[in-house]
Amino acid sequence: MRLVEHDGVKIGVFNCDGTLYAIEDRCSHDDGPLAEGEFDGSTCTVECPRHGSLFDLTTGRPKTLPAYAPVRTFTTAVVDDTIVLEV
Amino acid sequence: MATPEAVAEKRELAGINADYKEKFGFHDPETGYAYKAPKGLSREVVESISEYKDEPRWMRDFRLKALEHFESRPTPTWGGNLGQIDFEDIHYFVRASEKNSRDWDEVPEDIKNTFDRLGIPEAERKFLSGVGAQYESEVVYHQVNEKLEAQGVIFTDMDTALREHEDLVREYWATIIPPNDNKLAALNSAVWSGGSFVYVPAGVKVEMPLQAYFRINTENMGQFERTLIIAEEGSDVHYIEGCTAPVYSTDSLHSAVVEIMAKPSARVRYTTVQNWSQNVYNLVTKRAVAQEKATMEWVDCNLGSKLTMKYPSIYLLGQEAHGEILSIAFAGEGQHQDAGGKIIHAAPRTSSSIFSKSISKDGGRATYRGLLEVADGATESRSKVVCDALLLDEDSRSDTYPTIRIGENDADVGHEATVSKIGDEQVFYLQSHGLDEEEASKMIVNGFIEPVTKELPMEYAVELNRLIELQMEGSIG
Repeated sequence: MRLVEHDGVKIGVFNCDGTLYAIEDRCSHDDGPLAEGEFDGSTCTVECPRHGSLFDLTTGRPKTLPAYAPVRTFTTAVVDDTIVLEV
Repeated sequence: MATPEAVAEKRELAGINADYKEKFGFHDPETGYAYKAPKGLSREVVESISEYKDEPRWMRDFRLKALEHFESRPTPTWGGNLGQIDFEDIHYFVRASEKNSRDWDEVPEDIKNTFDRLGIPEAERKFLSGVGAQYESEVVYHQVNEKLEAQGVIFTDMDTALREHEDLVREYWATIIPPNDNKLAALNSAVWSGGSFVYVPAGVKVEMPLQAYFRINTENMGQFERTLIIAEEGSDVHYIEGCTAPVYSTDSLHSAVVEIMAKPSARVRYTTVQNWSQNVYNLVTKRAVAQEKATMEWVDCNLGSKLTMKYPSIYLLGQEAHGEILSIAFAGEGQHQDAGGKIIHAAPRTSSSIFSKSISKDGGRATYRGLLEVADGATESRSKVVCDALLLDEDSRSDTYPTIRIGENDADVGHEATVSKIGDEQVFYLQSHGLDEEEASKMIVNGFIEPVTKELPMEYAVELNRLIELQMEGSIG
């Protein structure tokens, strides 16, 4: 996971078996940091370190409570060996 | 001057009060126990529970990860006083019997006698569709109506469910309450044992309630049952739990996790009559999901325990889902009932209500702590929150901590709260109709809690009223 910042918005970029996904580093449950939670590449999920909600990185949707709303996702692309996020 | 009748009644009431120990507070000898883990919590204890139960690898890993969460989280400092709990002075796993029977006659004699005294086999015969009886860490008896079984209803203890329905359990396990949700949920996830697993197939209506009864017998015991209820589309089920424990001078801990999934148009009611002895810390996490047009109801009665911290919650995730929480708390001498409920409206046209009633006496403390949230997008949602507190004397305490967050302009949300004392005029009025002071007071309390008791099956309403009467002894001094 790489954490980047654009215009005050922190974004976590994840590599799930060669495919890149990006989500905002903010849990929809209580706005705490999310991206540095436990990442599972095989299921492409990240677990919020604060209360344990598991987020699907491909959609931004939570797979478990207490979060119920999706987090913001960003389209990724690799251009000339550089990862580009659409914000 | 007191009449002979009044003196006799006082004596009788004193007799009722004295019998928690006899009726519920007795304990059995621990002869013939299959296993009792040494006191204290460690990786070894968690591993041995998992090994003892011969669990799949994923569950063992789940437990160990939960233990890390438990150890890394601070003990909550809000709510009640948890500072006196010594987590190292608790037996985390006690197996009283080697097997879980479907026949009361096969249950070990001492344990069977206990449940006989508590009236469980009789209740099963009379008005239940199924019964589970947990003694210490594990379920010793489980039975479900054959007709329901033929319809595909599963009602079994959680350990058996994990062995026999592993895929189903795993699909829902900890998706509603993850281990890292809070410190006590993490503890339960690490050392869980027993509890109920209920699966109701689509369209099946379970007409009579399913019941589980939880009994602690050992001193310094921790009971950590785990319950999961899955109600498929259009199904209907009512689950009831009751609990008691012996009276000891040292503390025990009960920390359950209950997860409920009500699929579209399903209806689940979960009723608790909690009557732990006053040396039990009761720290429970209960949460339900209601999908489209589903109805979820918590009926939560807290009478016993030293400290209860419990806030059943409902996530209304589907359109037109409905949630209800009815909570009653009774705090007597040395007791703190920190109870309430949470409802989250996360879809349009959802509706809910929270009715909380608390009674404090003899220096007891009752707290209502609740959350009502209408999320962005949950348009046209409606909710009503009512919290009423009754103080029976000057030494008792009642606090209300309601939180309401509204994210939509068209939400229709009402909140009412009252705190009242039993008035001399009310007692005098009833006395003028021939009741004595105790009877008058009891009648006022029964009227106060009636909105909750009328929602209980009759047998439980009677039991609850009786328990309240028992607790009321000596309230007029």
